[in-house]
Amino acid sequence: MLDVSKLLEEIQASPYAEISVNAPHSGTLTFNGLVPSSRVVGPFGDWKEKKGTLLATIERERNKKPLHATEKGEVMLVHEELAGTFVQAGTEIMRLRHYLSREEVLSIILKKALHLFNAPERAKYYFIPAVEVKVKVSGPKAISVHDGMELFIMSRMKREAPLSYTGPEGVIYAVYFSHNQNMDAGQPLIGVCPPNLVGAVEDAVMRVQTEWREEE
Amino acid sequence: MTNTAHKVLVANRGEIAVRIVQACRKLGLDFVCVYTAEDAGSGHVRLAKELGGPKSLYRVASYHDANELLSVADDAEATAIHPGYGFFAEDYRFARRVSQRDRKLIFIGPSWRVIRELGDKINTKRLARSLDVPTVPGSDRPIYDEMEAEKVARTLFEFQVDNGIKNPLVLVKASAGGGGMGIEEVHDPDLFRSVYRRVRNYAARQFKDEGVLIEQRIRDFNHLEVQIVAERGGANIVHFGTRNCSIQSTGLQKRVEIAPGFDPSSIAYDFDADQLLADITRHSLALARRVKYDNVGTWEWIVTRDGKPYLMEVNTRIQVENGVSAAISRIKGKSGVDIIAEQIRLGLGAPLGYTQDDITFEGMGIEYRIIAEDPDNRFTPWVGLIDSFSWPEQPWLSMHTHVPTDEPYDIPTEFDPNLALGIVWGKDISEVRERGISFLDALVLEGHDKSGSPLKSNIDFLRKKTNRILLF
Repeated sequence: MLDVSKLLEEIQASPYAEISVNAPHSGTLTFNGLVPSSRVVGPFGDWKEKKGTLLATIERERNKKPLHATEKGEVMLVHEELAGTFVQAGTEIMRLRHYLSREEVLSIILKKALHLFNAPERAKYYFIPAVEVKVKVSGPKAISVHDGMELFIMSRMKREAPLSYTGPEGVIYAVYFSHNQNMDAGQPLIGVCPPNLVGAVEDAVMRVQTEWREEE
Repeated sequence: MTNTAHKVLVANRGEIAVRIVQACRKLGLDFVCVYTAEDAGSGHVRLAKELGGPKSLYRVASYHDANELLSVADDAEATAIHPGYGFFAEDYRFARRVSQRDRKLIFIGPSWRVIRELGDKINTKRLARSLDVPTVPGSDRPIYDEMEAEKVARTLFEFQVDNGIKNPLVLVKASAGGGGMGIEEVHDPDLFRSVYRRVRNYAARQFKDEGVLIEQRIRDFNHLEVQIVAERGGANIVHFGTRNCSIQSTGLQKRVEIAPGFDPSSIAYDFDADQLLADITRHSLALARRVKYDNVGTWEWIVTRDGKPYLMEVNTRIQVENGVSAAISRIKGKSGVDIIAEQIRLGLGAPLGYTQDDITFEGMGIEYRIIAEDPDNRFTPWVGLIDSFSWPEQPWLSMHTHVPTDEPYDIPTEFDPNLALGIVWGKDISEVRERGISFLDALVLEGHDKSGSPLKSNIDFLRKKTNRILLF
């Protein structure tokens, strides 16, 4: 049985995540004046339409790419030595400390509660076209799955193979992959909520919504 | 002479990146390589570290990102870009941008106008037909409409029936695809629609373009190629002979290439093979001259059992299998021809320096594509760790690989599991077959996947096919 109180206590004991901000591509780096202990915010607005704090810009081919904070938190480290230099893709430029949000806490708890169907191999995954359409129109919770149901297309090296779901019957409660993203073997693709767990999952959602206080 | 003041950005990965670096070194040119996180263990990265000067290796987010490549070119002070094959090799927009931006670079490949003209399979067909070069019957532009696609397919089925073909077949190909990917055949007009939708959806996912081509599927054919080499301006165009690339996987991807394309001295064909090779070479040169072709390129042909050639497409780039043509070619009697080095030299503006009469051919070459895959299971790629990879050196063998031989190598899942190209030379077909088998027998390739199962490769497949080379 899922012990939400215990899980919440465990998360509360260590409620931070460290976020390494890496150069998404190469280019000339300019920081935006942030220093360690500066506060940053992630995207906000009703639809998260407003961008988070500007951390830095990377310019290449006369295009300036702004790097915004993706989460709320505080600056831990700024690699000032890289300012004004040409950085390569993947270079760490800053580190942030972030207090977990309700959604993240819920995601951690749901990963323990739901039946996770994991990627059998490192590959890109897509829903089969019929399911993809339904997910787009009505969301993943509109999809009921059962053992042996053909659900995914697994794409590796441009070769595609069908992949069937195995596990208990239920609805797709969480989708952990996105279009064109490589998933490692063992990473969860979807979280399925079997009918007998619906009550426990809804209880977990409510507890997190009411009990987890986000940092102001 | 090559202007050695140039620095070449190698905008590719793996085995071709290794060969471009080696060619640059041969020509006395500086170079800079790029790599992605997944390719950190690749031989081209190691080679750049070992042989490169300052600013000779950059990590990038993607080989597909033109901005990234060009910004690296600027920071590394590169003056030219070699695209290798795949990625940007046949992208005329990229070639045009490279050569027209403020800080201009030389694109080591045909000029963007030539790529635009011939890179489009459809336009190539139109041009070929205007020169009376035979082409495969089918659509002459990408089709996006299901009804139209079905109409073209039905016409092709009827055309084949009218021509006495008992089991007509139609090919549905992703127009933006390449390398044999996104191709399916249809034997029943009633099944066409479901195959069309499958290929269209695949094309949209993999190539972000739903366009498909519909062609007659010609069966019982050999796949031949003509290697063209030309200097800038297109005034001097020569060929480096023919290749036979008929031994392919079930997905129509090449596995063994042989030069020259046929061997009438030891194999009886139902047609005059010497004449046919001369014909496809002549047609290829005619088309190359028509468009003022100005770098290396490959003209791909289908030849039916009764000796009818059809031009399939032109690959406006260096081809994987260029080395097998080089192996049998001599320039002014000298061996050691390097078509990649020629491509760079000519791309940088050097004159050809020889004529067709200076090019001669000697013996026969086989190129084996050594791939981690399971030929018994539809050539499914195998992914895992290679523990051991070695082969005895031979004077008649050249190996091109990015896989290290002195440390384990984790095959990245982002790219095809091509491991190496083994090119074997012999004075005739029997000697080259014998050497080919001996090379494959002595090759050590071992590894395991995450579950501990042993590596799967196509070595047995290559061995079995060696005795079938150049046959119908």
